[in-house]
Amino acid sequence: MKTFNGTFMLTTMAVFFAIGTGMANDNYREVMEKTIAHVYQATDLAQLQDAVNTFERIGLVESRKWEPQYYLAFGYLMMANMEQNAGRKDGFLDRAMKAVTKAKVLAPEESEIIALEGFVYMLRVTVDPGSRGSEFAPRALQTLSKATSLNPENPRALALSAQMLYGSAQFFGTSTAEACEMADKSLKKFSSYKSANVLAPVWGKAIAESLRQKCK
Amino acid sequence: MKAVSILILTLALTASFAQTVITGNVTDTKGAPVSGANVLIEGTYDGTSTDGSGNFEFNSTKTGAAQLLVTFTGFKEHRVDLSLSHVAIELSIVLTEEIRSLEAVTITAGSFTAGDQSRRTIFRAVDIATTAGATADIAGALNTLPGTQKVAEQGRLFVRGGEGHETRTFIDGLNVLEPYSTSAPNTPSRGRFLPFMFKGMSFSTGGYSAEYGQALSSALVLDSKDKAENTRTDFGILSIGGDVGHTHVWNKASIAGKIQYTNLAPYFGLVRQSIDWDRPPTSLDAHIAFRRESGSHGLLKIYGNFNRSNFSMNSQSIDHQNQTSRYDLRNDYHYVNATYKNILSKDWLVRGGASFTNVQTDVRIEGQQVIGEEKALHGKTVLEGSLSDNIEIKTGVEIIHRNYVEQREFASSDSFRELVISGFLESDVYANKHFVARGGLRFEHDAISSRTTADPRFSMAYKMPGSGQFSLAYGHFRQTPRNALLLLRPNLYPEQASHYILSYQRIKNNRTLRIESYYKRYNHLVTYTGGTDNALDNSGYGFAKGVELFWRDNESVDNVDYWITYSFLDTERKYLHFPIQTTPSFASKHNFSIVYKHFVTKIKSQPGFTYSYASGRPYNNPDDNEFNGSRTHSYQDLSVNWSYLPNPSLIIYFSCTNILGRDNVFGYEYSSGLNPQGVHNSRAIRPAAKHFVFVGIFLTLSKEKSVNQLPNL
Repeated sequence: MKTFNGTFMLTTMAVFFAIGTGMANDNYREVMEKTIAHVYQATDLAQLQDAVNTFERIGLVESRKWEPQYYLAFGYLMMANMEQNAGRKDGFLDRAMKAVTKAKVLAPEESEIIALEGFVYMLRVTVDPGSRGSEFAPRALQTLSKATSLNPENPRALALSAQMLYGSAQFFGTSTAEACEMADKSLKKFSSYKSANVLAPVWGKAIAESLRQKCK
Repeated sequence: MKAVSILILTLALTASFAQTVITGNVTDTKGAPVSGANVLIEGTYDGTSTDGSGNFEFNSTKTGAAQLLVTFTGFKEHRVDLSLSHVAIELSIVLTEEIRSLEAVTITAGSFTAGDQSRRTIFRAVDIATTAGATADIAGALNTLPGTQKVAEQGRLFVRGGEGHETRTFIDGLNVLEPYSTSAPNTPSRGRFLPFMFKGMSFSTGGYSAEYGQALSSALVLDSKDKAENTRTDFGILSIGGDVGHTHVWNKASIAGKIQYTNLAPYFGLVRQSIDWDRPPTSLDAHIAFRRESGSHGLLKIYGNFNRSNFSMNSQSIDHQNQTSRYDLRNDYHYVNATYKNILSKDWLVRGGASFTNVQTDVRIEGQQVIGEEKALHGKTVLEGSLSDNIEIKTGVEIIHRNYVEQREFASSDSFRELVISGFLESDVYANKHFVARGGLRFEHDAISSRTTADPRFSMAYKMPGSGQFSLAYGHFRQTPRNALLLLRPNLYPEQASHYILSYQRIKNNRTLRIESYYKRYNHLVTYTGGTDNALDNSGYGFAKGVELFWRDNESVDNVDYWITYSFLDTERKYLHFPIQTTPSFASKHNFSIVYKHFVTKIKSQPGFTYSYASGRPYNNPDDNEFNGSRTHSYQDLSVNWSYLPNPSLIIYFSCTNILGRDNVFGYEYSSGLNPQGVHNSRAIRPAAKHFVFVGIFLTLSKEKSVNQLPNL
């Protein structure tokens, strides 16, 4: 009886332990999934700040995972996108860039992170197009094309590139055919895109779709 | 049965882990709520954001000793030790502002900084290429900023009553000798360095950091670009020559080379010049830049500039128009600069390097040859970092070794040697976000005369609530006299100047207003003591004072960017051959300029103009009793430019100076003897041609689509 009891205790503990670690991973995934949904649905700066804070908390614990830093950067990009004041916009972009830099150290070859870096440069241009376009527009395109070369299947890098090319074609009054072609390609990749896991980014289809509308 | 009860017990235990409630409130030091702050238990996901009133509430599953962390941008991290034991905790947290945040005060007195990065600056590197009248010359563009005087026949930077050579150029912190190309007498010279090599620049008109020595009036600090990003080839076809450049990029390194050939003969064939050129200026110029990254932060930069230029002209005698004397010049310039920087730890950075310059000038006047050769080595190491979050320190050592030899035909050679070892220490102390003070000291030891000197520098800035800022600066500066004087008397000691600057600046919504006033005292200027030509000493002196205004606005009208500058200067000095203290001939009392740029998307162009005005400058009429007592008429110039970007890889520049055709006179030259009427014959010094027209076509080829000419517009 004693032996049985001891064995039973051991088994319970082992199972419990397994559940425990399983729970930690589950918890990570669950909190991430929930917060990612928050970022996608956020409608004001406070909601975004809240989500960004959560990613920051997760990032402090999960210091070897790139996703918390990625979404931290994404959240700040969305905040920059919403903000009208140039100084504060730059502040959000600085923070986004900081998180991108951290994510790049954790996963140097991850196309999604590089695409996000390109996005940071795109938004830098919008702060003051007259003086910044010359520096950040080419840099954005370069970075996005690097993201595409790291993973040709990444539809977000293509969608952002298409948007940059479209803007540039409009500026120079040249044909938008190339930009539209790229938007098409991006949409195709979006439909065939199989996310690597539940935490993989899924945003960006709307960018390609609205470009497609303009291209018609 | 027993098993089930154990399981239930275990589950109940797990569930009860989760229950320490932590509530509280976060405010800043003034008691205002901080919303959006991140409050968390370290090592866990547990935490929340503060709401609009700075309140927070969350649960933690952790038990025992724990650390609560509160973070928010612009504030210092705040930690609280807690013991979590299922008992509710209430906290009230006060965050202190981070001192060196983005909006923190910076020292701005006397300096214009053009950064490349995302910061908004008053002056940008790209402004150099797009300022009308500057024809992509660094000094040309900076001449539209306050504190400079138009001395159009020289093309150099004359700052606040200082001579052209009192402005020193530094590339990546290292001294550049002869930063201007050679030019014929009374024709403007251009800077040797191309504006697109640099990612940032800081032009200081006084009161600069103790890091910069051997500059009496002004420091132009240029930061070269880091590793190139793309392999590309560039071609340029200019109305005065052409260039070809290639950049090759590897993973961790890049190399860029450019060769430029200019020959003014075809242009002078079309546009009549008042100078009788025998051989118009030609120049062959090579630039090479190598970059290598090491580790995650280390960067090695090597830069070289090699130039050969020459010309021959016949200058007319003032008395007899058909009497000419021939003037031939050949100049060889070699400059190599190598720098390395790396971080030592989170808070400390080390940078250093060496530059070597070799300039050889071969002048023949009527066949009489004079060869001057200067060799200089500058080595420097700087350590900078923070002692705490409100004290920054910068310290370094430097060595300058210079040797100049002048060899005259059929005569013995003259030479001098200079060896200066210097060190500096400077610290920035932030009292809070609004107030910063900088104190520095620079030591120089002249190894040849065994003299040691110490120069203090001090500045401070106070940022008012809102967008205005006051700055004060004081400094003591010294510079070795120019070569020609040292040849006559090698034991002259450095000329000295003290600067006192008071400045107010306001930047709001892309509109900048700056008002600055200053007083400058010169001591130990080199002057002739009478008698023989060689009788020189350091007994000269002088002063300069003035008020300057700067307004820049690229907000009010879409796609329009303009700035207006006014400088008032009152300066006198007793130096060189001046018998009395008086205003030197390069100084004009009033300088005014407007620079206007308008980007027109529809025609993919940026037209612009620059209007410059400088009041009359003194000149010495030997038939007048008063030395330097005569004044020229005012200098006025309206220059226009047009940059056109027909497609992303092609840019066309057009510019023309003085479109109104004003007859500008810079001064007068007099013959040495008297004419039959008993006075000296005179001749006006004028530009060689009324206008200078420049056309340039630049093409970039790269496999990468994104590489284009946009950065050049």
